[in-house]
Amino acid sequence: MSTQALSPEARTLGYWTGVRTVFALEIKQRLRSRGWYVLLVVWFVVIGLVAALTALSSSAAMGPQGPVLYELMVGFILFFGLLLAPALSANAVNGDRAAGTLAILQITLLRPGQILAGKWLASWVASMGFLVASLPFLLWALALGGVEPLSAVVAVVMLGVELGIVCAVGVGMSALAARPLFSIVVTYMLVALLGLGTLITFGLSSFLTIETVKASSSTSYSYGSNGVEEYSCSGPLTDVSVARTERIAWILAANPFVVVADSIPTAPVRDENGFSTTGVMEGISTLVRQAQAGPEHTMPCLNGEAGNTGELDVPPIWPLGLGLQGALAALLVLLGRRRLRTPVRSLTAGTRIA
Amino acid sequence: MDNSAGDHSAGTGVVAAGIRRSFGSVEAVRRMDFTAPAGEVTALIGPNGSGKTTLLLILASLLAPDAGSVRINGYDPVANPLEVRAGIGWMPDTLGTWGSLTAREILVTVAGLYGIERSVAGVRAAGLLETVHLTDFADKPARVFSRGQQQRLSLARALIHDPSVLLLDEPASGLDPGSRVDLRALLRRLADEGKTVVVSSHVLSELDEMVDGAVFVARGETVKTQSLADAGAQERWYSIRSLNTGSLLRQVDELRIPYRQRGGADRPEVQVRLAGETAAAQLLRSLVQADVAVTAFAPAGGALEETYMSLDADRR
Repeated sequence: MSTQALSPEARTLGYWTGVRTVFALEIKQRLRSRGWYVLLVVWFVVIGLVAALTALSSSAAMGPQGPVLYELMVGFILFFGLLLAPALSANAVNGDRAAGTLAILQITLLRPGQILAGKWLASWVASMGFLVASLPFLLWALALGGVEPLSAVVAVVMLGVELGIVCAVGVGMSALAARPLFSIVVTYMLVALLGLGTLITFGLSSFLTIETVKASSSTSYSYGSNGVEEYSCSGPLTDVSVARTERIAWILAANPFVVVADSIPTAPVRDENGFSTTGVMEGISTLVRQAQAGPEHTMPCLNGEAGNTGELDVPPIWPLGLGLQGALAALLVLLGRRRLRTPVRSLTAGTRIA
Repeated sequence: MDNSAGDHSAGTGVVAAGIRRSFGSVEAVRRMDFTAPAGEVTALIGPNGSGKTTLLLILASLLAPDAGSVRINGYDPVANPLEVRAGIGWMPDTLGTWGSLTAREILVTVAGLYGIERSVAGVRAAGLLETVHLTDFADKPARVFSRGQQQRLSLARALIHDPSVLLLDEPASGLDPGSRVDLRALLRRLADEGKTVVVSSHVLSELDEMVDGAVFVARGETVKTQSLADAGAQERWYSIRSLNTGSLLRQVDELRIPYRQRGGADRPEVQVRLAGETAAAQLLRSLVQADVAVTAFAPAGGALEETYMSLDADRR
């Protein structure tokens, strides 16, 4: 063994060299496990079935099919991605600990942040593989026409970002929890909290925001020349209870579906007969923007005035959502990094270092 | 050796003093002092659950002691973990490997984590695989390795960055006799190169042949620190066999040497308590002069085993 080539005193490990090495180590292991490929095939088949069914059912409807199929595909990919990402990420650290390979990393010049960053990137890239596997179906929907290329690109980018956030939550949890089973379940619960919990919280807390406002007792509407609803208000003002949803709309922001839906730029596309269709993601976005606008916008004849219920003039809510989700992920990763610090002072009960 | 526990200026080897560490209510290490000078193989010996692995984890900079000071090559693992890690090679008692990676990939990856360039790492990995006789398995996934092969790979991994301090937790377990001889020769050679080698083991007879000193621990405490020279000088049992056990016993009786009889009727053996190697040489000479037909004359157990058993006696 020659010792000339190695000079122990001058040995250092650059930040990105360390991250890259951990990343390569993780990816190699994932690419060599058959499970990942089986999941990919299952994924491809399921997304393909969803796409085929959607295409069949929407061909019966009028209007351009592209947006309907595309937005539904985006919704499904996000849904399945949220189900998949925790499984791919939430055992990254404690799984290694159980296998006895974490200490082998910790004994090297790696710092905790590098281990977490490398593992996060690897789980993100692994989950992006599933996004790539669904691209053929998205392209199919694009080929049907009616989808803005920009919208298509934004949707895919935002799907990737959401997967990255869930992976970060998973990797952070896996560093915090002693057992893989626990961290995977908790990550699923956190994803459910974002996906369903936000809806439930919004729904329940909307009762707390109920206020009494005055509105015309009788409203009627007709379609104007440009196809937009026009209200006419008559009758005396009466008390009406409305929920001031604009105060709690921010809760919805943390929902991954809202973030993706709200970030996709939409432009109404009409076919040759003048029919327009609304995709599911655009629908979500519209509902959220109505909640953001509150009764001033959604309640016709508030205070006897026929308000503008056409265009909703509210700021996009997805940056807030990304911020909330990112803060959650960052918090978990930072707490997890503390757990990975060595020499260990307090050891979680039931765990070994090696 | 003048590497006393308080002398940190030496800058080499391992010095730990007054180490304490508990896990919850369990005191794994209560009061341990441990010194392993450079250029020597130092054994860490103790029964199961005596705190050996905990001490090695503390020395390896993975676990912080509750109290006490540790210096590895002059660095404190708590304050300067990276400096410590650059200089230590650690082989854990629980084997963990990345099963889907090949032996070569594992070594090159770990080398990368010490900041060693890829080209250098490849050469170094090939050399170490040769050293631990895994060249034929270099490109096989670690999953298919036998326990002994994994153990050897783990040793190669611990050596990949040419550390000056080696901390080996039960390195010989699972090794076949040939690999044990190789391991002994390798550790001896590394020590002779000036490296600090710390070995924890239960196989005491093997340690006898390679260690320069030993630290005995029990119930989380250091109970004895012994150099091999001390071990040779200590009072111990020698076993003697003769063609005529009767005349052997008469002679031993005459010399008023305490003895006991061991072995069955087919392999009779007399064990005598002797004060050291000089006394042993004297007895052998007088037996031969008295025409006792001695066929075997040797220490009953290894020197370390002798010490271990004498310490172990008060455990029960």
